[in-house]
Amino acid sequence: MVEKQNAISLGVPKDDFLGHVRRSLGRDQPLETAPVHLPLTENFADLEVRAKAATERLETIRGELVDRFEETARVRNWNVFRTSSVEESIGYMADLAGRLGISKAARADQPVFAELAVDSALQNTGIELFVAAHDESTSDLRVRQQIIESGLGITGADYAVAETGSVVVLPRKGLSRLVSLVPPVHLAIVRAKDLVESIDDVFLFRRLEYLHKGGDMGSYLNFITGPSRTADIEMKLVVGVHGPREVHLVLLA
Amino acid sequence: MAEVKTRDFVSASDAAMRDASLRRALRQVGGGFNEARLEAIEEVSWETWEEWREVARRTKIHALENLDYYLEMLHDRVTAAGGHVHFARDAAQANAIVAEIARSRSVKIATKSKSMVSEELDLNHTLDANGVEVYETDLGEYIIQLAGETPSHLVAPALHKTKEQVSELFHQKLGVPLTDDIEEMARVARQVLREKFLSADLGISGANFLVAETGTLVIITNEGNGRLCTSAPRIHIGITGMEKVIPSLQDLAVFLRLLPRSATGQRLTSYVSMVTGPRRNDDEDGPEEFHLVLVDNGRSRLLADPELREALYCIRCGACLNICPVYGKIGGHAYGWVYPGPIGAIVSPTLVGLKEAKDLPHASSLCGACREVCPIRINIPRMLLHLRHRLAESPLETENATTTGERQAAQAYSWLMSNPAALSAAAKVGRLAQKPFVSGGKVSKRVPLPLVSRWTGGRDLPAMPRQTFREIWAQGLESEAEIRE
Repeated sequence: MVEKQNAISLGVPKDDFLGHVRRSLGRDQPLETAPVHLPLTENFADLEVRAKAATERLETIRGELVDRFEETARVRNWNVFRTSSVEESIGYMADLAGRLGISKAARADQPVFAELAVDSALQNTGIELFVAAHDESTSDLRVRQQIIESGLGITGADYAVAETGSVVVLPRKGLSRLVSLVPPVHLAIVRAKDLVESIDDVFLFRRLEYLHKGGDMGSYLNFITGPSRTADIEMKLVVGVHGPREVHLVLLA
Repeated sequence: MAEVKTRDFVSASDAAMRDASLRRALRQVGGGFNEARLEAIEEVSWETWEEWREVARRTKIHALENLDYYLEMLHDRVTAAGGHVHFARDAAQANAIVAEIARSRSVKIATKSKSMVSEELDLNHTLDANGVEVYETDLGEYIIQLAGETPSHLVAPALHKTKEQVSELFHQKLGVPLTDDIEEMARVARQVLREKFLSADLGISGANFLVAETGTLVIITNEGNGRLCTSAPRIHIGITGMEKVIPSLQDLAVFLRLLPRSATGQRLTSYVSMVTGPRRNDDEDGPEEFHLVLVDNGRSRLLADPELREALYCIRCGACLNICPVYGKIGGHAYGWVYPGPIGAIVSPTLVGLKEAKDLPHASSLCGACREVCPIRINIPRMLLHLRHRLAESPLETENATTTGERQAAQAYSWLMSNPAALSAAAKVGRLAQKPFVSGGKVSKRVPLPLVSRWTGGRDLPAMPRQTFREIWAQGLESEAEIRE
């Protein structure tokens, strides 16, 4: 839950500002009833029905979704490693760490790592693996410093979107905002059950969750679609300007 | 507010057209962005594209018709998520709000991701004056900040700079060796700015969209600087125009499909980041404070004007710039204020004053390409005509809008066309008078007359023929050859 702070407001008082907007619209008074806009007329029960239908739809096309996601993700410059084997997944990560020649990697603390015991495999390659999560002994600064020193950041995915080839992460407890952003290489683990068809699906499930949690969206949501890019100098594409230059997907499906 | 140089439009566009490297850069933009946009649309089919445009337009119409309602909802939801919402009537107020947040929280260093509204406010100047070191972190914005310039494009702010110019700039300002390797330049910027991100107290971002339902700020970026600005510092301020609000999270999807495709031809940008309040208690990291500054600064004037309201539907994709034959020749700076191109020619005059920017509505051939490419189907040509009409008719703006010369010329033309005898006499006089200026069937030399000289200085006029149509008609169309001639 959100801890309530006393909201401060500088500048024009809200009611003055909104009054001015209202007069610009040719009205003197606030609307007496909410304007009719279809998505906002939906309540929790409506969304639950729609989300259930979406889940069933996704279930029936799961196999096809994996193919579609793989294809789109490749076009968006993810390095995709698809396998149904946990051992091979772990092997891919260990090989990557070896190839990168790094001395430190950071991973998020998410349930997926209970399925994929990457820690010992990575440590066996001789690198230091940092689990980027707080406990009593770690301060914010220490977590941040460890991530900065890491040559590879590893996360799970909250959703993977077939339409766009995106991995969606919801930073929260156990998932730092920086693990998928600050190291020069990011690896995301996607399982078949993380897949959705479109960005509409993501928003449908998030809206349901929002109402379920009594109006808390969570502080952050990121769609990640390939490496960091810029074309700001002479429109020439350069990858890896502020975010990762290289991104990998282990598609465990 | 950012310095207004819209009065210099004519001389600035003249200078721009003589700038060879700018012309080269602009040709690249026209080609690159447009081709990528078309490819991205064809991939989903034009039919789908038109459906999306329709949905997005209807959503914008609805959101703005009920703007007070959705702003109130946004305020309540941001506050419920633990954020603070501030309202600014004008640029001075918006700057004062940010300065006050920075002062009261002892901010020393701020990093910024790209925000056109902050350009509009000239926020960096205010922060400087308040002792805050501020760093633009979008590569293009960083380049122009180092150069002390302003953006020349909504999406690619430094497109007017060549790599040689950027290299020279980095060499001078950062002391790095000269290079012609663009990747190396990006690496330098990454290195310099990485350190700033990690030492900054304050991150400032704009917003592409604000979702009223959930109190969420959405930014769409490629470099990752937006993610860093909204993740690393202990305070995040989002600052944006009040028109950016959309009702529901579900409405966002169609805009995420339209904006990147229209801007750069991408199906989705590398990152879409959605911020709802500050970090929660058990989050691993993120800003402890979230502030949202909502800016009017003249937008309510657009809202109140039924002819111009749709300018507020703009999602700043830049597609109208990329297709515009005028922008393609003169670039962004000539427009003299923050928002260039066809949409800028409507927004700027309304925000800085029509009298101040009277040339901008005329900076268009009214070819209609801007309307055709606009993902929200904004009828830009109609609004440009409307502004021209207002300039011509408004008693307040008359002196500056239409020159006495133009007025007299129009009156003379009208009189001439309704007096056949006078017209025929004028044709004879014209044929004689044009002689010194004609070569190869064109009036190709500059004619030293007011009004006419501005046209003939840059273009050739077809010369008047030996005979007018009326004269040929009177002779009974004896020879077709004469007509062809």
